[in-house]
Amino acid sequence: MHHQDSANAEQINIDLLIQKATAGDANAFGRLYDMHVDRVYRHIYYRIGNVVDTEDLTQQVFLKAWQAIRRYKKTSSPFLAWLIRISHNLVVDFYRSKKHHVNLNHDLRDEDQESNPEQLTEVRFGQARMRAAIMQLPSEQQQVILMRFIEDFPFADIASSLGKSEGAIRVILHRALKKLRGILVNVEGER
Amino acid sequence: MKKLADILIECIEEIRSGRSNIAACIDRYPAWRRKLEPLLEIAVGIQEPPDVSPSHEFKLRARANLMEHIHSTELSRKPWPFELTARAKQIAWAGRSKLAAVALAIIATVCGLGGGFAYAAQDSLPGDNLYPVKISTEEFRRVFTVGDVAEAELELTFANRRLEEIAAMTKTEPDAISMAVNGYQRNVTAGIERAEEIKNPAQSANLFESVAMVTLQHLKILDSLHDVSSENSQSSIEQAHEIAFSTHVRALRDLAMENPLRAAEINLLTIDSRLDRARATAEQNETEKAELALIQFEELIRLGEDLSQISKRLGHDTTDVDELNARATAAHMEVLGLIYGKAPEQTKEVVENAMEASAEAHGQAVEGLQEKGAIDNIPQEPPIPDDIPEEVKERILTPGSEDSGGKSGESGNGSGGSGQGSSNSGNGSSGSGNGQN
Repeated sequence: MHHQDSANAEQINIDLLIQKATAGDANAFGRLYDMHVDRVYRHIYYRIGNVVDTEDLTQQVFLKAWQAIRRYKKTSSPFLAWLIRISHNLVVDFYRSKKHHVNLNHDLRDEDQESNPEQLTEVRFGQARMRAAIMQLPSEQQQVILMRFIEDFPFADIASSLGKSEGAIRVILHRALKKLRGILVNVEGER
Repeated sequence: MKKLADILIECIEEIRSGRSNIAACIDRYPAWRRKLEPLLEIAVGIQEPPDVSPSHEFKLRARANLMEHIHSTELSRKPWPFELTARAKQIAWAGRSKLAAVALAIIATVCGLGGGFAYAAQDSLPGDNLYPVKISTEEFRRVFTVGDVAEAELELTFANRRLEEIAAMTKTEPDAISMAVNGYQRNVTAGIERAEEIKNPAQSANLFESVAMVTLQHLKILDSLHDVSSENSQSSIEQAHEIAFSTHVRALRDLAMENPLRAAEINLLTIDSRLDRARATAEQNETEKAELALIQFEELIRLGEDLSQISKRLGHDTTDVDELNARATAAHMEVLGLIYGKAPEQTKEVVENAMEASAEAHGQAVEGLQEKGAIDNIPQEPPIPDDIPEEVKERILTPGSEDSGGKSGESGNGSGGSGQGSSNSGNGSSGSGNGQN
């Protein structure tokens, strides 16, 4: 109950900040940046795999968001989902325009040094393999998988963020899992 | 009967929330075990990455950069400091960037370069010295265009220009072409956004229809350009194609809120164009192009289902929309059968998916017509061509089954077919408003 109340209060706070930012209040937008920068960074890092480009793209996301904030409609999708959508477009442009290749080999650092090293290596390997497979999915399937499994958005928010029905998102997710399975089976076969 | 996609999602959600596990889910749906189990294992294997966080130093630096950028552009957001007439206010509201563009156009004129200079610039292309003048004259026209209807129409005119530029550069200027594609995106996005801001329903419906028809034409033009463009230009053309397609879908969803039947009619035109494209490219063994056209076909078929649901929610009589969809999906099946016969092995799955979507849409439309006793002479099941293998037919007519190896024991409804066409309706959200550049 308490958790629900604080979540509602935070949402109201975000709505107010968006209202102010839309009216040109830079400080309000700064607060929105503070609240969301970690999630945006994490999303981009998962897809890019290096700190320099992730930092660059994270900055671009917030610049774009500021430029476009008057067109943001809170009834359409949550603010974070909107930021993630901008991040997705920038990552797609990043790979497309600069002919970058997906960095499939990096592992995502876990700073927990207390874990068993062998176990840690196995977990890292499994996660890196899964990430590499996800990065081979078509852009839309990739986005749905990341928004549901990594970002934990509900289907309704993913649907509104991508301009599709929830039914369509379910179909995309089903297809994505089938394709992932195919990719992982192939990888296993090659090893 | 539930579709596999729905069962899968239901199980995933329960497992993720800790309310169930893979074994319990499979016990509940034993008929789906073979298909469900591996997909659930994959889903469970996708885990959040370790807590990767930006450095404190980066966050401060990025925030400072952001604030500096905002303050440097802050003036453009502030209201005009003295009283203006209504028209002048509209012009002022357009912002400093527009005024800067006007200034540039005026400077060009005052500097003796005159109208001829601006005129000559109209044929320039991205990368040319005169191109900024062309863009400035467009800004100039924007400033003196008042009202959402006129502004939306103007943006569509400019989008056509960008497409002409793309067409002129497909073989020669692969680098500059992306500039035209970015401009195209800005113009069509601004066009649909202006249309969405119109309060008068009749006017907005007209504009949504215009956007839908214009982008349909653009899709066809971009298909042709894709066929003749140099290898280096292909990704830019594909990007422009994606932009045209998503704007088209958005316009149809918007239009459906005012006139669902017209939205359904235009959607069928676009579906036909995607099918034509798939057939033509499959005949030439252009596998990737055929697959792209079929994927778009499938998305539009599902959009057709959504349009019917939107119509229903708005309290309209959906008979006309359902009849249109039912007749069209029956016709589509024949064409898809032809494509299936010509498609290489790796493309067949995409054709099967398109057939499955078509069969589901047919089922939903027939269901709607049956409810109203208006089924007339429409076949209950879509006519799948005889030369399609039996196991594929079974898969197509059994919503949710996913591969040609599907055994009847798993679904238990071998010929159930169209009657089960569950709606995939979702919420039919308009999908507008993700307004990034």
